[in-house]
Amino acid sequence: MTDLSVSVSSNAHLASQQPLPEAPAKVTVRNLNFYYGEHHALKNINLTLGTNRVTAFIGPSGCGKSTLLRIFNRMYDLYPGQRVTGQLMLDQTNILDPKLDLNLLRARVGMVFQKPTPFPMTIYENIAFGIRLYEKISKSEMDDRVEKALRGGALWNEVKDKLNASGLSLSGGQQQRLCIARTVAVRPEVILFDEPCSALDPISTAKVEELIQELSENYTIAIVTHNMQQAARVSDKTAFMYLGELIEFDDTSKIFTSPTDRRTQDYITGRFG
Amino acid sequence: MRSIVQTLLRRAGTHKNWAPDQRRTASGASGRKQAYIKRVQGIGVAEMAVESNVIDAAGPYDRAKALSAFKLGDLTFYWITRLSAISVLLILGGIIISLIVGAFPAMKEYGFAFLWTQRWAPSADPPVLGALGPMYGTLVTSFIAMLIAIPVGLGIAIFLTELCPQWLRRPIGMAVELLAGIPSIIYGMWGFFVLGPFLANTFQPFMIKIFDGVPVLGAIFAGPPSYLSLFNAALILAIMVLPFITSISVDVFKTVPPVLKEAAYGVGCTTWEVVRSVVIPYTRVGIIGGVMLALGRALGETMAVTFIIGNSFRISSSIFAPGTTISAAIASEFAESDGLHQSGLILLGLLLFVLTFFVLAGARLMLLRLEQKAGK
Repeated sequence: MTDLSVSVSSNAHLASQQPLPEAPAKVTVRNLNFYYGEHHALKNINLTLGTNRVTAFIGPSGCGKSTLLRIFNRMYDLYPGQRVTGQLMLDQTNILDPKLDLNLLRARVGMVFQKPTPFPMTIYENIAFGIRLYEKISKSEMDDRVEKALRGGALWNEVKDKLNASGLSLSGGQQQRLCIARTVAVRPEVILFDEPCSALDPISTAKVEELIQELSENYTIAIVTHNMQQAARVSDKTAFMYLGELIEFDDTSKIFTSPTDRRTQDYITGRFG
Repeated sequence: MRSIVQTLLRRAGTHKNWAPDQRRTASGASGRKQAYIKRVQGIGVAEMAVESNVIDAAGPYDRAKALSAFKLGDLTFYWITRLSAISVLLILGGIIISLIVGAFPAMKEYGFAFLWTQRWAPSADPPVLGALGPMYGTLVTSFIAMLIAIPVGLGIAIFLTELCPQWLRRPIGMAVELLAGIPSIIYGMWGFFVLGPFLANTFQPFMIKIFDGVPVLGAIFAGPPSYLSLFNAALILAIMVLPFITSISVDVFKTVPPVLKEAAYGVGCTTWEVVRSVVIPYTRVGIIGGVMLALGRALGETMAVTFIIGNSFRISSSIFAPGTTISAAIASEFAESDGLHQSGLILLGLLLFVLTFFVLAGARLMLLRLEQKAGK
């Protein structure tokens, strides 16, 4: 119990923080199971992502956080032998419908990866590329959209003079913000972040976290993180997962101050994981 | 124990700058060093406490001696690799020199006119020799071959890496590799007995009929159909270089990080868009390398081409007319040549050498341009 009391006091600011009011569901997960071949990776997951809320997924490595995230945009579809059962709705759309147009789904559900993944083209093209997939717009409109996206990614001031430089010439933190800008540029409804800061230095991490906060005003966000402080800082709701199960899902302030499950408590106090 | 440290330091050199260090190490750090040496030799700490002089009994651990043994190996290795590298330069230089020496009589006789003379009459007196026909044939057949082989080869590579179901991957991959293993003489015979007649009876009349009367294309696809033609040779060349392009492209496509492809799929790309905008730009250098290798092979390929190209030194605008390439001309005439004729053939060989060099250099330049354009 001593451990818990320590954690409670260190997260005291969370207890005082008022949780945001319950938001209408954007993504609804019901009885979701996932299999890598024979391996049962996700067991009976039930949760909802609130519209314009940040939901953090925490848990030890291999617990299925990233796997869950990759189901939200059907990324698992790229690989044979992976299958899913259950129900997964994005508003009224059934994400698991085999006839669903995956390209349109991925335009609605954007993803930012653990490592920055700029495409091998210029900074401008990195942004314009995604837009061009869906819209035919004039050069000047495109310039506007690119600028807006780069501003959205908090990168505009750093790159406005070198839009024609390769996306690969940026620093790691800048590359990651470029990837966020690229994701924002196609105007998704949901943005998935898969450990977006694990390859970044603290200053870049702070910038990305700030950005996530700003984005949450307009987008529904799901973020997988190994950094519990980060989860506490950026999210409204937190889901703790362990060995493929969703152990606890509640307001972030509640998870970090008075978790109901013993395993959640052990994990956030650093006793395992 | 002091003796070990001292031995080590003695080996390290007796320069006077070492002296203070030596004193400090000998007195202060000897315990730590000793423990380290013990660890290195795999002796437990407990053991060490009991028999502290066990190393002295076994003789000092002589790292310098061990190192000097490595040094000999290193030196040998360095020289073997260096000689191997130098031998390439020697062989290349030797070939160039002997080609120039052999070609010298022809160079003196014909000068630069050799390059733009179409007539090839070795039995005339004096023999009239010109390289225009073979040079034209070499460039045209290679160009058509690449025109066919690059899209098909890349297509196979893309299918194998991005789209192919697992069970089909091995059979196709192996078929491509087997294609590379077929000796060129077999391609020649097959082209002569099977492909040539087939093309002359079906594809060629069809193309000739379609483009009849069309300004430029009409001249390129002009009749009559022939078993032996530039086009047939180019098609065989395309089949022969296909495995180079495919297998190298497959290898470089596999180097694209999966997460990069996922990111592209993540913004909603189709497979085609991922390949065009991410996979190919990312692997551009490797692909061009494979294409260059294939082009080098196409320019120099001899046996199969000699069989089916028709060995005509006349330049015709039609790709369905017989022609010749530099290597085919040399192969078919060298055995019966002498004097100026032979020297002229050697000069042709030298030209092929230069031609290949310029084509490869041009490709390098193109690659450089591409990289600058990509903003690297």
